[in-house]
Amino acid sequence: MPTVRTLKTGVSGIRGVVGESFTPQLLVGFAQAFGTYLDGGTVVVGRDTRPSGEMARNALIGGLLATGCDVLDLGIAPVPTIQHTVRRVGASGGIAITASHNPQEWNALKFIHRDGVMLRPYQAEELLAVYYQANYTLVGSGRLGKLESDPGAARKHLDEILDLVGPDKELIAKRRFRVVVDCCNGAAAGLTQPFLRSLGCEVIAINNSRDRGFPRPPEPVPQHLGQLEAAVREHGADIGFAQDADADRLAIVTEAGVALGEDFALVFACDATDPSEPGPFVTTLSTSRMIDEIGERQGRQVLRTPVGEINVVEAMRRHNAALGGEGSGGVIWPRLQLCRDSFAGMALILRGLARRGGTVTEWKDSFRPGAVVRARVDCSAAEAQSVMMALREAYSGEQVDLTEGLRVVWPDGSWLHVRPSNTEAIIRVVAEADDESAAQALRDQALEAIAAHRGR
Amino acid sequence: MNSLRIAIGGARGVIGESLTPDVIVNYSHAFGTYVEGGRVLISRDTRPSGQMVHHCVLAGLLAAGCEVVDLGVCPTPALQLAVRTSDAVGGIAITAGHNPTEWNALKPIRADGIFLNSAQAGELLDIYHQRDFRKATWDALKPYSHDVVAGLQHLDAIAAELDTDLIRSRNLLVAVDCVNGACSEYAPGLLERIGCRVVAMNTETDQPFPHQPEPAAENLSQLRALVQATGADAGFAFDADGDRLGVVCEDGSAPGEEMTICLATEMILSRGDPGPVVVNLCTTQAVEDIAAAHGDREVIRTGIGQAYVSEQALNSRACVAGEGSGGCLFPRINYANDSLATMGHILQLVAGRTSLREVVASLPRYAMTKAALPCRTHNAFSALERLREEGEPAWADPAQTELADGIKYRNRDRWVYVRVSATEPLIRVIAEAPTQGESEWLVREFLSAIRRLI
Repeated sequence: MPTVRTLKTGVSGIRGVVGESFTPQLLVGFAQAFGTYLDGGTVVVGRDTRPSGEMARNALIGGLLATGCDVLDLGIAPVPTIQHTVRRVGASGGIAITASHNPQEWNALKFIHRDGVMLRPYQAEELLAVYYQANYTLVGSGRLGKLESDPGAARKHLDEILDLVGPDKELIAKRRFRVVVDCCNGAAAGLTQPFLRSLGCEVIAINNSRDRGFPRPPEPVPQHLGQLEAAVREHGADIGFAQDADADRLAIVTEAGVALGEDFALVFACDATDPSEPGPFVTTLSTSRMIDEIGERQGRQVLRTPVGEINVVEAMRRHNAALGGEGSGGVIWPRLQLCRDSFAGMALILRGLARRGGTVTEWKDSFRPGAVVRARVDCSAAEAQSVMMALREAYSGEQVDLTEGLRVVWPDGSWLHVRPSNTEAIIRVVAEADDESAAQALRDQALEAIAAHRGR
Repeated sequence: MNSLRIAIGGARGVIGESLTPDVIVNYSHAFGTYVEGGRVLISRDTRPSGQMVHHCVLAGLLAAGCEVVDLGVCPTPALQLAVRTSDAVGGIAITAGHNPTEWNALKPIRADGIFLNSAQAGELLDIYHQRDFRKATWDALKPYSHDVVAGLQHLDAIAAELDTDLIRSRNLLVAVDCVNGACSEYAPGLLERIGCRVVAMNTETDQPFPHQPEPAAENLSQLRALVQATGADAGFAFDADGDRLGVVCEDGSAPGEEMTICLATEMILSRGDPGPVVVNLCTTQAVEDIAAAHGDREVIRTGIGQAYVSEQALNSRACVAGEGSGGCLFPRINYANDSLATMGHILQLVAGRTSLREVVASLPRYAMTKAALPCRTHNAFSALERLREEGEPAWADPAQTELADGIKYRNRDRWVYVRVSATEPLIRVIAEAPTQGESEWLVREFLSAIRRLI
């Protein structure tokens, strides 16, 4: 059996498997590198509920204190809370210990800049250079950092969302929504229920424990949400929300107990954007055309970026966007902060549902019918380059966009996006068309073109 | 000079310089590998680097799959007692003992509460250097928890071995200098429990050490002044982690660190506890005199280091053991140098006599002289070997020569001991004789012999 290398060190952080590559040596090294890179100040540290989070937390605290950084330890906290806290307390940076939607055995570090945004690629390159040189700043015993905790950080983050929702809180409360939320026993456990109650909802929380382990794969895609679908039906709820392990991503279940495609969290949030908030929408090349449909209705431009939270965030900042995010369930509300935030997403969607009236199913049916399908093909990064060249050749007669990988748009509005992943040795294929079979046909055609090239 | 020392006694170094987070994580990961997972207890003293070191230790132990119980700031002998009396497989004390504040160290403890002996420490070091650590998978990681009662249970264990009625009957006033260290809460606590009145100084654990945390005579001026100002019956000085104890008499005089083990020996032999007395090779020969006065009781000498003394005390079923540096061990309580237990036993001795000054005056005393010669380690052992080859000096009794750990020559009332320091590039020469002039002469003689041989 070939050796499977699990460590991934790159511009989007470091990721590994516990007991193999996610070691305390690696962690304490990166903590010292980050502390050296920041050159002092406070670093906010938080983690999701994975059992390895405690080991990682201790390694980070030890390494950061040794470089003279003070540490504000949030314990178990959603990633958007960590990002919010970095800005609120004027910290030098933050580290989130989470492998997000990856399975239990994985864990990862995500590094946060002082502005609350994940490190941009050039900043991450700088951090990696410090790590590889391993010439860390270590201070004497009189100048070691201080450790403090902030148990109220999540409440302050969620209170700011409630403040921004403002008078619309009454509007939402009037509908007396019954909501089921699946916290995946993740970082949002214990937080989402009181948050939604503050919006006047009746809330049933499932998988709402911090220490029981994930009850389902933490990625909030429809095939993982059977328990939530059943709970929504059982309780006769108006809507179901699913969060991932670190509460950046959000998925929706209708009042009929049907999990919607992962694009719908962003679609609904865009549709609920208040006309008083000017600016374009920003999303990725792999996100549904429904965003364009909303843009036309609201008279807003839609900007598309390569996939990756930081790409969306940078474009949002440059263009003063009203809203943005990724089709994978990451809603970014810039009035709050420039990061994916499932809590902000829930508030915006409930506001939209309250304003328009009717059911979630009716809301979904208000868009042009369509279906998004996805696929992944195992392929090394090196081979992916030649695959992409061949595909550009194969689709050269169509209307193509080469911003990231290959995106093809047909006159009927259907589209195809093929790109090598940033984080895994795979090629991702996404297609959207008027119905499931048409989308599948576009996808399968791309898969065949890939296979034909590799078969030669 | 590289200040890092990874050796039998643990990993020791200067913060910001040599005892880095990488070293701490690797050493504790090696320890977690050595004990093959299992429950490990940890504690720390009050030096400002304790928190940083603590978190690195936790990371290494947890990654190895250990269940960690954190005793927080707590005397090292309390940690050793907790390891011994629980099902823990070991412990790590985060403390540089009497070293200055910029130092810290990890001291590994085995399941019976004793520091690792040289064979065991060698195995741990091999794991450390090989870096083939035990890596627990996500579902084998264990939790960590806190134990806030271990320090109090330690006081219970000490009080249970003392005649508290006798001590209480004297209504003694006792002054303590806790150097803002790990005994800051527990020394006054023990004194109240055994019926003494307390006047305590330097008990703020979040404050820096007010003076060097070694309870040697030159660091006792504050305590001596406190004893005199309050009219206390006795004064006791603690080190940062509670293994060594310094003594001040009611007149403000400080009889020196060697007196601590003499008082402890006098107390235990007076009580009639069975078993030999165990001390290391450079502890005062007054211990032999005291043992002789109690009916020719046996004294066993060991190499330098608490691990040797503790293990010998265990194996020979000793009644009391210790070192001239102020660390004493009471096997009925614990196999650890224990300043709190030592204070309790000395107070019981005082309670049965007139006063501490009177007890001290009744014990034999010698003049001790210590010197150190800078010498690179790789030359030092050769120099010692050549010194050995020169044979005994004329005054020494060949039957009493000890060559196991360094060189010790003795006769009836004097001795000289030469050894290579385990922690610094030094050769140490120590001599004891009836008068100061004689002990200084012995040291001078051997220093010049060694200089000639280097």
